Formats: sequence, structure tokens, C-alpha cells
Amino acid sequence: MVIKMNFEYSEKDENFRKEVKDWLDETLPKSLSEKVKKYQRLTKEDYEIFMNNLTAKGWLAWHWPKEYGGTGWNAIEKHIFEEEIIKASAPRIVPFGVNMLGPVLIEFGTEEQKNYYLPRILSNEDWWAQGYSEPGAGSDLASLKTTAVDKGDHYLVNGQKTWTTLGHHADKIFCLVKTDLNAKPQLGISFLLIDMDTPGVEVKPIITLDGEHEVNEVWFTNVKVPKKNIVGKENEGWTYAKYLLTFERTGIAGVPYSKSALNHLKMISKRSLKNGKPLIEDPIFSSEIAELEIDLLAMEIFNLRTVSAAAEGKAPGMESSLLKIKGTLVRQKTTELLRKALGPQALPYLPEQFDEGWNEMPVGPSYAGPIAKQYFNMRKISIYGGSNEIQKNIVAKASFGL
Amino acid sequence: MDFTLSEERKMLQETVGKFFNSNYKNIDKRSENVNLPEGYSKEFWKESSDLGVISALVSPKFGGLGGSGEDISIIFELVGKSLCVEPFLSSAVLSSTVLSSISNPRNDLITDIIEGNLLISFAHCEMNNRYEDHYIETNAYLKNDEWNINGTKSFVMNGDDASKIIVSARINGDVNDRHGIGLFLVDNDQTLKRPYNTIDGYRSTELTFEDLKGELLAKDENALKCIIKANSAGALALSAEALGIMQICFDLTLDYLKTRKQFGKSIGAFQSIQHRMVDMMLEIEQVKSAVMLASSTFETDDLTRDKNISAAKNLVGRVGKLIAEETIQLHGGIAMTWEYSAAHYAKRLIMIDHLMGDSDYHRDRFKLLSNS
Ligand SMILES: Cc1cc2nc3c(=O)[nH]c(=O)nc-3n(C[C@H](O)[C@H](O)[C@H](O)COP(=O)(O)OP(=O)(O)OC[C@H]3O[C@@H](n4cnc5c(N)ncnc54)[C@H](O)[C@@H]3O)c2cc1C
Repeated sequence: MVIKMNFEYSEKDENFRKEVKDWLDETLPKSLSEKVKKYQRLTKEDYEIFMNNLTAKGWLAWHWPKEYGGTGWNAIEKHIFEEEIIKASAPRIVPFGVNMLGPVLIEFGTEEQKNYYLPRILSNEDWWAQGYSEPGAGSDLASLKTTAVDKGDHYLVNGQKTWTTLGHHADKIFCLVKTDLNAKPQLGISFLLIDMDTPGVEVKPIITLDGEHEVNEVWFTNVKVPKKNIVGKENEGWTYAKYLLTFERTGIAGVPYSKSALNHLKMISKRSLKNGKPLIEDPIFSSEIAELEIDLLAMEIFNLRTVSAAAEGKAPGMESSLLKIKGTLVRQKTTELLRKALGPQALPYLPEQFDEGWNEMPVGPSYAGPIAKQYFNMRKISIYGGSNEIQKNIVAKASFGL
Repeated sequence: MDFTLSEERKMLQETVGKFFNSNYKNIDKRSENVNLPEGYSKEFWKESSDLGVISALVSPKFGGLGGSGEDISIIFELVGKSLCVEPFLSSAVLSSTVLSSISNPRNDLITDIIEGNLLISFAHCEMNNRYEDHYIETNAYLKNDEWNINGTKSFVMNGDDASKIIVSARINGDVNDRHGIGLFLVDNDQTLKRPYNTIDGYRSTELTFEDLKGELLAKDENALKCIIKANSAGALALSAEALGIMQICFDLTLDYLKTRKQFGKSIGAFQSIQHRMVDMMLEIEQVKSAVMLASSTFETDDLTRDKNISAAKNLVGRVGKLIAEETIQLHGGIAMTWEYSAAHYAKRLIMIDHLMGDSDYHRDRFKLLSNS
């Protein structure tokens, strides 16, 4: 559908919003949304509770086509849905299976693969991880070194992936591997599905600057992978890899996250005092908030324009890169202003505060604890999903004819 | 005008630099110090005293061997380069500044600080006073010739391990009045303490006083003057610390850009990256210049001192954010890890803007002072 020059939600949209909201009210456990609100560490089960509820309702695969068990929602409905789940402080939908691998399988998988994997993604039976990056292959992903050697009925995989988000929870990992060792970068890459419990797969934690365990190294030593686990054609994995990345990017813009952070910022700026008066009355600080809100207002429309175009069948292309850049900068700006709004209250850091069930008195107001940590954690969003610099290269190359 | 360091100061810089490096060899060693019960190494603190590092922060008038703006900057630039967590700021700068600025300076206590035998923390911040010099809720009243203090002080650096505390408290007037403030010396064994680490690895404490007996050090105009001077000295020290951190961030990033290869060349070969390094470089030169100016006018009149310190601290806040964020971004994923030192430098650099006045506070103060 196309957005007409009409920026109002229709009655139908509003009804849909209410349906989503009511459903969340009913099914999302309070204890879980409390944990999300407090930025407490989520267990694997926490993610699964919410995702299983979505499965039961038929809403998990909200961007898949209907015939595969998707919702068939239009762009506006998707936007409303995303906004409501974030407003309700639901855990995030772990994207690797449903948002990343799913679309690739639907487009390029065999019937057998679709029949086997898609239902397992829909039922959350499989937890997927993304095995793209390697120590030597970050921005230059095509220079990856993990090899898969053809041994007749199986591939023998050796190498190392890194930065694997939530890989410690995963049952399966989709990997880019080199199947033609002599081919130039970008050629000779294949897209392979690997069971994490195959002998020779080892997961090692990486602790990030905020002291948390979110990413991992995944090592492969003589790992046997059945040949039927290859997606699409051998040596053509780069095409599928790029197709997947465009889906990854739009999500990272995170407009609804920024909107919810903006509300949080306004709330905190009303409570924080500067010279005995609410900080929000400070003309300079409130101007900064206003400019952030203006950026966000425009970006929401930008985002809707892009997803609408995508819904019309145009693959999200250059716009998804632009949105990724602007979206991450705006989101990072919200975390920066939140940190500034707190003043010295941003300093105390109680790691135990992020454990489930922690109910001691915080140091300072209860909202202060996670803010600085979140600011540092969010530095990642301009690095991953294709760094912002790489997005700029893509846009410049694709659109300027220079 | 002379922009070079004297021979003596160069020697100080070299000796202290070597000494800091020998203890703070790497980020794991620092983490060890952070994780000690007091949140810092007592042994290193004592050695620093023996080497004269603390005395370099105090003027000869009060038993030290330094104490000028330049001395403070030299030492704190090195504190930044090593990310030292010892109580240089709390005890050696803030408290000794108060103790030397009161009408009857307390050389006895200052000498104990210099010798590493006594730790005194300065408890001025409160949960709601943000960065203000005079907004004070903690109160003090006189009963039977004794001062009694009630209230809670926040973010007191090294407030758990210090044996004495200098407390700012309101004797009369409204919470926001510029007069009616007192400074008191109290024993720390009777206070209620809640220690914690800050996100950048420094020990801080919430201290609560209930009818705690205190000795009056200064009151009214003199007290406020002392608080302002201590906070300004602290802001100068932190600015120099930030400068040291920025230089390390820059060096680490440049090294990495030379060694990290993507697309068949070092990522530093991309011009868009080079331009960003140039931006960082010139902003660091700006900070260096502002810190030099603020150091050189530290002993002049209060107005010039505070105006130049506010200029430096404002710039440090703005440039610090740039350097910390660019350091992480230009490294990519590696700088998001605990294991790599750049992450810790970036965290400290950002959090320095949450101590002794952020960039907004100092911009506002600069505006006031430069128009007065
Ligand atoms: C928290 C986190 C989670 C992640 N999760 C996953 C995951 O689940 N799965 C996965 O596969 N990967 C994941 N990644 C990896 C992520 O995709 C990479 O970090 C990213 O691709 C950048 O690679 P790099 O870190 O090696 O940086 P590098 O590629 O080494 O880049 C370093 C810097 O150089 C810049 N640069 C590089 N090339 C150019 C150029 N040509 N022009 C201009 N600038 C350039 C980059 O933009 C960056 O600023 C994650 C990363 C993080 C930090």
C-alpha cells in the first residue's frame, strides 16, 4: 500500500492498535515486562515465553507472507505492532530465525528445507544464531576464512565466527563459509545451516564493555555438516547473505525504541533538578530534547515511506541504509541525553541490580541505574548490521554515479 | 609567553609517568586495583606518597612541593593515561584545597595526607544538587557549643575508606541560598555508609549523618569560597585527566587503524577515516590549549581562574564525547569488549562529564563569568 498524503491513522488502524494492545495486556506477564523495564538480564525462557505467546496467536512471523504462516499485515499494521510491543516493554523478538533466516529460506530454500525449518522457526523449537562475522572479516565480510570442504555426503567445516549474539542460547547457526577456496572474495561463499550440538562446535563468551554476556565466539573444528544443509546453490551464498542484510538493517533503525526512549527522557527531565527546578525548564536542555523529537518525527515518516515501498514489492535498498544510519544516530542520541539528564546520578553502577528479583534500594532514583550502561551498550548499533561507514559507502556507490 | 615546561616539571612528569606505568601495566592490573576491598591499591597509594606525587599536588605554603595549576595538570594527565583509581582527586586535590583555603589552614592534616597516612574525602554532592556549589540540603545546628550534622551526601569519592570527611552543610537560610553554608570536619567511623563502584570503576559512597558531631572549618562567605575553589581545582584536575585519556584513545585508535586490514588494506588507508582522525587530533589540541591556559591562571584571581577552568571543562565534555565515541566506532566491535583497554578509557572519558560540572554547567558558568 502507498501512504496517501494523509498522516492520520484510519479507524481500522486504530482498531488494530487496540487489538494488539489488549492482547499484550492480557498475555504479557507483568513480571516479564517489569524485568524489561528495569533492563534486567533476560533468560532464554524469558524470550521464549513471549515468543511462544506470539506463536499461539499467529503473530510471530509478522513479516512473512500469509501462505507460510505469516500475518500478511501491511506496512502500517507492522509499524503499529512493533510500536505496541515496545511500549508494552515486551522482550525483543529474537530476530535471527524469524526475521533473518526465515525470509532467506522462503526466497531461496528448497521445499524440503522450507517444510522442515519454517515450522520449527514458527514454533520456536529452534533458536538460531547469525554466523557471519569473523575476527578477520567484519566490514569486509567477503574475506571470511571459515572453510567447508566437500567430503561427498557432508561438508567438513573449520574456522571461527565471532560476535555471535546470543549464540550461547542457540541450537542452530546459519553460517557463511568458503566452499571454493581459490575463488575471489564474494565468490565461492556458501550459506550453510549448522546444528550447534554437532561435535566440534564450541561457544566461548565475550564480555562487553558494560560487563554483560551477550556475544560469543563460535569455533568449528572438523565439524561434519550434511550436504542438504546448504541453502541455495553452492558458491552463491553471497547473494543470499546480502538479501538477508537488507532485512536486518531496517529493524536497526528502531524508530519505536527511540520514541519510547524519548518519553522516558521527558519523564526523567521533569524529575531531575537543576538548581532546584525541573531540568525540563532549562531552555537549552529542553531545546535539545525538542530537536531530538523533531528528528524522530521526520524519521518515523521516512521509515513508513520505506516500509510502504517495500510492501509494494520493491526490495528495501538504499533507503534502508539511510534509515539505518539516521536511526542509529537518533537512538544513540536518546541514550546520550538520558545520561546527561541524570547528571551525577548516572555514575553508580550496581551489577546485581540487573539480576532477576533484585529488590534492594537503588542508589538514587530507580530509573537511574541502567542509563549509563545502556548508553555504552548502544554504541554497538552503529557498528553492527553493516557499520554506518559501510552504509555510506553503499549509498554513495549506488546513487551518485561518481 | 612561554609554552614549555620547566626542567623540574619535565623531570616530575617523567618520574611519575614511569612510576604509574610500572604499576598500571595493563587493563587487567587496573581491574585488580578496582576489585580490591577499598576500590584502589593502598600499597600504590603509599608508594605514590613516598615518591612525592601527593606532595606535588600541594603548595609549599602548606607543606607540599608543588600545588600550582601546572603541577596538578602534569600529575592528572598521567593519572588519566594510566586510569589510576587511587584517591588523588578526593583526598589530595579536593580535601587539601579546602584545608589550605580556610582562614586557619590545617597544615597538620595536609601533612598527614601528603605522607599517605590519612585519607580525607570531600562530601559536597547530594542526590539533588547536581553540580551546584551552594545548593545544600544537609544541615548543621549548634547545641551545647557542639555542631550536629544531619543529612545524606552522595557520590562521595572514596567515602568508604576515608577516616575523615569534610562536609558542606547548611547552617541557615534556604537550600538554594548562597550564604549560610558551613564546612565541617567529621570522623568517618560514625557515618552510615553505602559504598559502590561507578560504571567507570571508581569507588564512591553515599554517606548519611545523624546528629553527627563536627568541627567547624569555615562558614558563610569563606565556606562558599572554599567549595568553589575545591570544585574548580577538581574540574581542572579532571580536565587534565581527560586530556591524558584522549591522547591514549587517539594513539590506540591510530595504531589499530594501521594494523587492522579490511578490503585488502589497513582501514586507516580510507580517506574518510583519516579525516575523522584529523578532527580528533585538532580537537585534542584545542583541549590541550584550554587546559594549559586554565593551569596557568589557577593562582590568579577567582574570576579568571574559574572562567578559564570552566572553558576547559566545557571543552573536555564536548570533545570527550567525540573522542570516546569515535574511538569505539573506528575500532569496530573490538572496542565494545571488556578485555580491550580502549573501552575503559572511553568509559572514563564519558563519565568525567558527570563529575564536578558537565559541559552544560560549565558553559553556563562561563557565560556568567565572562559577562560579569
Ligand atoms: C554487540 C555486537 C553484536 C554483534 N552480533 C553479530 C552477530 O550476531 N552475528 C554476526 O555475524 N556479527 C555480529 N556482529 C559483528 C558486526 O557485524 C561487526 O562488528 C561489523 O560488521 C564491523 O566489523 P568489525 O567489528 O570487524 O570492524 P571493522 O570492519 O574492522 O571496522 C572498523 C572500523 O573501520 C570502518 N571501516 C571499515 N571498512 C571501511 C571502509 N571501506 N570505509 C570506511 N570505513 C571503513 C568501520 O566502519 C569501523 O568503523 C556484532 C557486533 C557487535 C559489536
